[in-house]
Amino acid sequence: MFQFKLPDPGEGLTEAEITQWLVSEGDEVRVNDVLVEIETAKSLVELPSPVSGTVRRLLVAVGDSVDVGAPIIEIDDGEPETEPEAQNLVGSGPLPEPTNRRRPAAAPVAEAPGPITTAVGKVLAKPLVRRLARDLGVKLASVHPTGPNGTVSKEDVEAAAGIAHAAADDVLGHTERIHGVRKATALNVAASVAKHVHVTEFNTIDITATKDLVARLKTRREFKDLHVSPLLLHAKAVCLALARHPELNATWDGEAGQIVYHDDVNLGIAAATPRGLLVPVIKGADKMNLVELCRAINELVVTAREGRLMPADYSGGTFSITNVGVFGIDTGTPIINGDESAILAMGAIKRRPWVVGSGDDEQIVPRWVTTLAVSFDHQLIDGEQGSLFLDDVSTVLSEPELALLF
Amino acid sequence: MSVVQSPAETNQTTKTLTLAKALNAGLRAALSADDKVLLYGEDIGSLGGVFRVTEKLQAQFGPDRVLDSPLAEAGLIGTAIGMAQRGYRPVVELQFDGFVFPGFDQITQQLAKMRFRSHGRVQLPVVVRFPYGGGIGSIENHSESVEAYFAHTPGLTVVTPSNPNDGYWMIQQAIASPDPVIFLEPKRRYHEKGVVQLDAPARGLHEASVVRAGSDVTLICWGPMVRTCLDAAAAAEKEGRSVEVVDVRSLQPLDFETIARSVEHTSRAIIVHEAQRNYGPGAELAARLQEQLFYVMESPVLRVTGYDTPYPPSKLEADWLPNLDRVLAAVDQSMGY
Repeated sequence: MFQFKLPDPGEGLTEAEITQWLVSEGDEVRVNDVLVEIETAKSLVELPSPVSGTVRRLLVAVGDSVDVGAPIIEIDDGEPETEPEAQNLVGSGPLPEPTNRRRPAAAPVAEAPGPITTAVGKVLAKPLVRRLARDLGVKLASVHPTGPNGTVSKEDVEAAAGIAHAAADDVLGHTERIHGVRKATALNVAASVAKHVHVTEFNTIDITATKDLVARLKTRREFKDLHVSPLLLHAKAVCLALARHPELNATWDGEAGQIVYHDDVNLGIAAATPRGLLVPVIKGADKMNLVELCRAINELVVTAREGRLMPADYSGGTFSITNVGVFGIDTGTPIINGDESAILAMGAIKRRPWVVGSGDDEQIVPRWVTTLAVSFDHQLIDGEQGSLFLDDVSTVLSEPELALLF
Repeated sequence: MSVVQSPAETNQTTKTLTLAKALNAGLRAALSADDKVLLYGEDIGSLGGVFRVTEKLQAQFGPDRVLDSPLAEAGLIGTAIGMAQRGYRPVVELQFDGFVFPGFDQITQQLAKMRFRSHGRVQLPVVVRFPYGGGIGSIENHSESVEAYFAHTPGLTVVTPSNPNDGYWMIQQAIASPDPVIFLEPKRRYHEKGVVQLDAPARGLHEASVVRAGSDVTLICWGPMVRTCLDAAAAAEKEGRSVEVVDVRSLQPLDFETIARSVEHTSRAIIVHEAQRNYGPGAELAARLQEQLFYVMESPVLRVTGYDTPYPPSKLEADWLPNLDRVLAAVDQSMGY
């Protein structure tokens, strides 16, 4: 015996009126034959039979209002009587449950959060957003809140940190999801700008002697299988100069209230890789002789170009070099990498007129000339130390033999 | 008992059963597998229990293994402790959730502590099973959700199946457990049908289960509320929201890893339980979520629960119990942050 219960017509309706029976007791019905017409508050609906069999009993009369879930007709479908299991000895049986939302009825959405009141001047933001602001070095109080109930949203913080979000709707052109190295780079540079007080100094030098030295080194047996470039001597010059100016090989830890001076020079070399900008690190570069340093740089370049760098390869740096000269550019104002305190930018090495000699011997001759730029964190490095460091690097590159003095 | 056997009379691999029948089959399998398994409780023998969970078990296994007990819950638990000490695996049925309290002292002060007191020498493989929760048109003292009392008590494990397959397997796993298990049966779901896998259990007794995958918000629930949450998730899908549902299954020990993995994924969590809110099980879950996932959450952990009153008369229970509308209102609220 099958009992057909009034199905939930949806739309939050809980009852319906029987307007017309289309079968009588004793009729044979098949699946999908229309049994009854009901009227809800919204419409007239015909209900089909879910089973085949003989109509035994109509349980409600035309004109009756029936609750959803109440039985309205019994059809003998050949199945045994409803299993006795539903007959609890206690209670009236399981509560019917709605499967559709009765919008206004039970729980108005007024439970949604109202305006938030809090101590005067306290910025409202989720923990997630507070953490992001801290990581990006953004002061929450300085951010214009556009989130719900006057809260600072993730997007507000990112905007304050200079991370642009293109609104997809307004864009002419195409968009690209921010992810991977691009995203990491954006977060790193934004955090660096927020964390360090950047000062950049420039020095234009005659680097002819270094060019000559590179040419001589290339002919030596030690460098037979290696690629020798001015970058090698820049790296060496940096290591030598850092030994005399340890504050440029240090980390400003404002939270702990201390400056950490690093024993080793872990030299980062910014590299344009297929994955984007990465700064692989040569660990202990200052402990290496020139051949070892050259090999390390060569290996790094190969690994980076092949996109095989592992996170360990680009973490733990203490000073970085970026080479904008390879693009033919004179110089730039590099951004300090991570927790480091200074960075050197190599410019292009070009033939330029250069004044040599003095007095009567003074003349203009063509020389190999380049501009060095060093950005440093003014929080722990004064103009004096930054300048002396840049001067030392310049000295080694313009007169390499003076490295003997270091 | 190391191997749990399927009922001998069936060699199919699946069967559609109600939760009550699945529990009955699970109990039958446990009784068949191990002579030391005993069932007793009020009216469980010839009557087969108020909800027929033990129907025909006395006829099959005899009155020495399936016993009708006096109406005395403290004595039921106390004798089970003694028999467990002598090598039996007693499975005690309490007729209703509200009837557990005469046995509360025996459960929380004796059953829970014996292993601790004996420095691990005495283990008590006792299962205390009873129907819990409302939604059957009954009254207070017959509709309570008492899981927090026991999950709060060290020395007890607390599990609750939400569907026939879990009912069939979890009762056997609980009986096989070497330590006390409070086995809570959602009485409003006793007559809901589901497919039971007869070959092997899908997961261990104390593992949570993601019963519906989604990406916007996680509903954390157990026992009777799993069906409600699944219905709510299906309704939410029509509104364009992707709701994940985690069936906790074991309240003690808690498989927090599975819950946390889900919430890490959705960043929003709503705990749904029938029990009253104040100091209820949802409070513990919410506290753990904020401790461990503070920087993951997009919205505060919300709770949809029974109200802080005694269980109401049956005319009011539809409004008292968490339902689809209240769950979806919480989903709206969570997504509003």
